[in-house]
Amino acid sequence: MAAGGFESLKALIVEDNTHMRSLLRALLNSIGIKDVSEAIHGQAGMEALRERKIDLVLTDLAMSPMDGLELTRHVRKDENSPNPFVPIIMITGHTEKYRVEAARDAGVTEFLAKPITAHNLFARITEILERPRAFVRCDSYFGPDRRRHDADNYGGPWRRAEELQDVGVR
Amino acid sequence: MPKIRKLASGAQFIDPDAYPQMLNKPEAARALLNLRSAETAARAQVAMEAAIPPMRAAILRYVDDMEQASHDMKKLFATAHEIRGFAETAGMITTGRIAEILCRYMDDMERAGKPLDPTIVALHASAIARAARAEDDDVRMGEKVAAELAALVARRLAEAH
Repeated sequence: MAAGGFESLKALIVEDNTHMRSLLRALLNSIGIKDVSEAIHGQAGMEALRERKIDLVLTDLAMSPMDGLELTRHVRKDENSPNPFVPIIMITGHTEKYRVEAARDAGVTEFLAKPITAHNLFARITEILERPRAFVRCDSYFGPDRRRHDADNYGGPWRRAEELQDVGVR
Repeated sequence: MPKIRKLASGAQFIDPDAYPQMLNKPEAARALLNLRSAETAARAQVAMEAAIPPMRAAILRYVDDMEQASHDMKKLFATAHEIRGFAETAGMITTGRIAEILCRYMDDMERAGKPLDPTIVALHASAIARAARAEDDDVRMGEKVAAELAALVARRLAEAH
């Protein structure tokens, strides 16, 4: 029996589309994540995060009244955030470069472009487990290190254009 | 090696060992095996296939909504975006591609501060509806239409910029 490892994990799906929520829940269930909460927008997602311990957040980008970017900023920066380090996977059909940059600057851990496939979702979860990122705190940002590759001669926290290729930016 | 480092710029680096991880190390090792197992892939495949019929039905409802919203560009964009979001997951590849072209056109024109051409929007909406209702049976024709619409949008966006 290969399944295992995720029994204790609590996930939160923040997505306004019922079909996408169902699919994401089914995919999380398929790897053994049974404790899955759902919220239909960022504000409800933030409330869910305050009500119970959450270990992984999957969020859509475009939602109302609070979108996934704002949710991420609240999680990362609010003084009373229940878990500013929680991994956040942003899942969206909005794959334009400026939107991906906005997601990364808000502090998402991983970016997943629709259409959803099990392979792509599991690859993002694998990335979180295998290569957990350092967090960076500076005046304008708190979140996962936006550089994916270490460079010996680079000492700053700032992003690089070529990293955008890693996340399927169009 | 310190777990929290401060750079000359004032930025603070917090190493992964210095904050709570999603899973502890033994759990993570088991989870990685799980994620790569054939059994998991098979369960995920079942989950994906089960999602297809309700998604196809939902896309057809969105198509109806899109046609009714033909003069409400904000609603039309929102509906096209929903279709773009999961048409391909539902196996409606051409429908998803045309919705993607329409969304990009509307998004880029808005960012450029230019008015939308209603004819271009209507052409895409019509093509999305036809592709969705044919359930992509006529793939070659759908691909041809998608390619022509993409070329049309590329020309208009080049003119707009």
